[in-house]
Amino acid sequence: MQILEIKNIYKRFGDVTAVNNLSFNLEAGNVFGFLGPNGAGKTTTIRMIMNIIVPDSGSISVMGNSKISEINNTIGYLPEERGIYRKMKVKEVLLFLAKLKEMKNAEASKAIDYWLDRMSLGEWKKKKVEELSKGMQQKLQFIATIMFDPSLIILDEPFMGLDPINVNIIKDIIMEMKRKGKTIIFSTHSMDSAEKLCDRILLVNKGKEVLSGKLSEVKQRFGTKNIHLNYEGDDAYLRESELVDKFDDFGNFIEIQMKPDADPQELLKQVSSRYRVSKFEIVEPSLNDIFIQVVSGSEMGGE
Amino acid sequence: MLNKKVIAVIQREYVTRVRTKGFIIGTILFPLIITLIFSGVYLFGKFFQPSTRKYAIIDETGVIFAEFAANLSDTLKTGEPKFIFEELKPNGESRDELIKELQKDINNKKYHGYVLIPADIVENRTAYYAARNVGDFEEQRSFSRAISRQVANLRLAKKGYPAEEIRDEINQGWVNMVSAQVTEKGEVSKNSASNYLMTYLLSYFLMIFIMTYGQSVTRSVIEEKSQRITETIISTIKPGELMLGKLIGISFTGVTQLAVFGGFIFIVAHYGASLLTQAGLPQGEFMSIMENLHLSIPMLLFFLFFFLMGYAIFAILFAGVGAMVNTEEEGQQFLLPNIMLNIVGFFIMISVAKNPDTPAAFWASLFPFFTPVVMFCRIAVSDPVMPSGAYLSVAILAASIFFLFKLVSRIYRVGILMYGKKPSLKEAFKWLRYK
Repeated sequence: MQILEIKNIYKRFGDVTAVNNLSFNLEAGNVFGFLGPNGAGKTTTIRMIMNIIVPDSGSISVMGNSKISEINNTIGYLPEERGIYRKMKVKEVLLFLAKLKEMKNAEASKAIDYWLDRMSLGEWKKKKVEELSKGMQQKLQFIATIMFDPSLIILDEPFMGLDPINVNIIKDIIMEMKRKGKTIIFSTHSMDSAEKLCDRILLVNKGKEVLSGKLSEVKQRFGTKNIHLNYEGDDAYLRESELVDKFDDFGNFIEIQMKPDADPQELLKQVSSRYRVSKFEIVEPSLNDIFIQVVSGSEMGGE
Repeated sequence: MLNKKVIAVIQREYVTRVRTKGFIIGTILFPLIITLIFSGVYLFGKFFQPSTRKYAIIDETGVIFAEFAANLSDTLKTGEPKFIFEELKPNGESRDELIKELQKDINNKKYHGYVLIPADIVENRTAYYAARNVGDFEEQRSFSRAISRQVANLRLAKKGYPAEEIRDEINQGWVNMVSAQVTEKGEVSKNSASNYLMTYLLSYFLMIFIMTYGQSVTRSVIEEKSQRITETIISTIKPGELMLGKLIGISFTGVTQLAVFGGFIFIVAHYGASLLTQAGLPQGEFMSIMENLHLSIPMLLFFLFFFLMGYAIFAILFAGVGAMVNTEEEGQQFLLPNIMLNIVGFFIMISVAKNPDTPAAFWASLFPFFTPVVMFCRIAVSDPVMPSGAYLSVAILAASIFFLFKLVSRIYRVGILMYGKKPSLKEAFKWLRYK
């Protein structure tokens, strides 16, 4: 099922084009990484999905519905600019946010207690929000995003300002949600966490799509595969091999960038027939490498 | 428009506000302070009650003293006489010697002071008063009035007129003016002085209330903005609905406070006198003021109505201000014109109170930002007749509230998500055109 269909959306603020002809579809049950450097138009796009701002042109349909207000209560949104009423008590503020999602009181109370306990905030229920640490307030916001069991969850930089322990807690919950068949849009500029969580990614820069698809496919596409190699002997042969594009000696190991279409297996055969090999590893490019490559590439006008 | 989500916002705004210490103190404190002031005035009055004062009177005419003392035979609340007068006659010594003697006596507290009525008082009309302290003007005035009365009598007698008869005639010549207001239902008697007092007071409170609660709206919007709460909320509810819920929630707070104040005033006005009597206390001037205020139920309802209308139109402006700025300090600059609007309305009200039916009063009350205070004043002064343009002005006000809401919610929608630089008015006008 298509949970999100975005067609040719544009958004300008004065002279700046924040989102420039962006289109993408999203199937239910995926973790979708919406990636890009700061100022790429991620938050603007998400705000348009949430109908907080309206695109200048183009269309957005969520769960087959172009009026988001009708299905708003099935979408959980954690904005990047987030805060919570500091003077209210923890449970009270969550109950208010649950009411905004039209949850029944008893049901809301139960869900809130469950999540507070799970996030080890159970003892803070009756404390004022301002007494909580920043990390705790972040967790509170996360609870507010998921407590009403939404089927689409949009997280804008969810790990910002969290320590590694809390990052793990939230990661686990995201994976749990995915197993339950929820769709998660996950916007970040941290490629590391995106790489661990996402099935599909969309990389934007300056409001435009630069890269999209399944994470594994993207990696293959950018598969200028590198090989890390350790062996005994001189390097004369490798330097002249028709399979090798680039040769780097890092001391501990040698990094080889293969020519396009060259088969690593062939290289392994050749090398092992001449030298005593102690390490031969095919290294996939990290999302971070791809990100830097693509973004700096598009920055230089090579779109 | 009033869906479940808006009701949740109304509830939150109301509950979190009514619960604050500030609100509870402010609401209870007002009746408490009024009660304290009046009981304080009463108790202090009792505590600092003057005691009987003893005066030496040197009456060189020999004919004024008796009448003078008779005229000043007031008693204190304790039943003691207010003054004791002792006539001193020179025993051969001169006036100066006598006064020197008296000064010693006064310093030794035998007397509080002395009054010298010279022999030539009928011609020169000057008497002398000296005492340990001369701060009590009231007392000196009553002494001078008592002497004047006798001197006038003496002067009349000297010309051969019957002084007592003339005085009687003058006393009987005082005329009492009964005022009434002509209405379509006939004449209605009305005390104009207390009527103005009430109108000023209520109009003043009206203005203060509108401003106070209007500013609460600005603060509330700024709070959500500066703490980055807005986006979480408006991802669920439309900005216009959030603004509406906020305006209504805060207005309920105002109504709650008014209800407490109104209830207090009502109880005091209707049961205060009997409560004081039951407690064995004298009713005092406070009760007569309260009774003269004519705080009728319709007038309190008008007050409530114009509070809500005035709050609405100003609070919408205040919400727009809150959306445009990031901190309360930044807001000051935009708040000033709003406050000036309200204050100008108040000054117009002051002149309108005396002449509620002039064309100027009519036109001023049609301007929606002046309507609440000016029209309320005109209604209160003209009561029970509806002043001209009453219905028209309320219709214009209601329409203005509606359109202003539409307009400001467009600014609000954009402004609450703009962090950082405060926009110029020109930029804010651009927001109106955003899709």
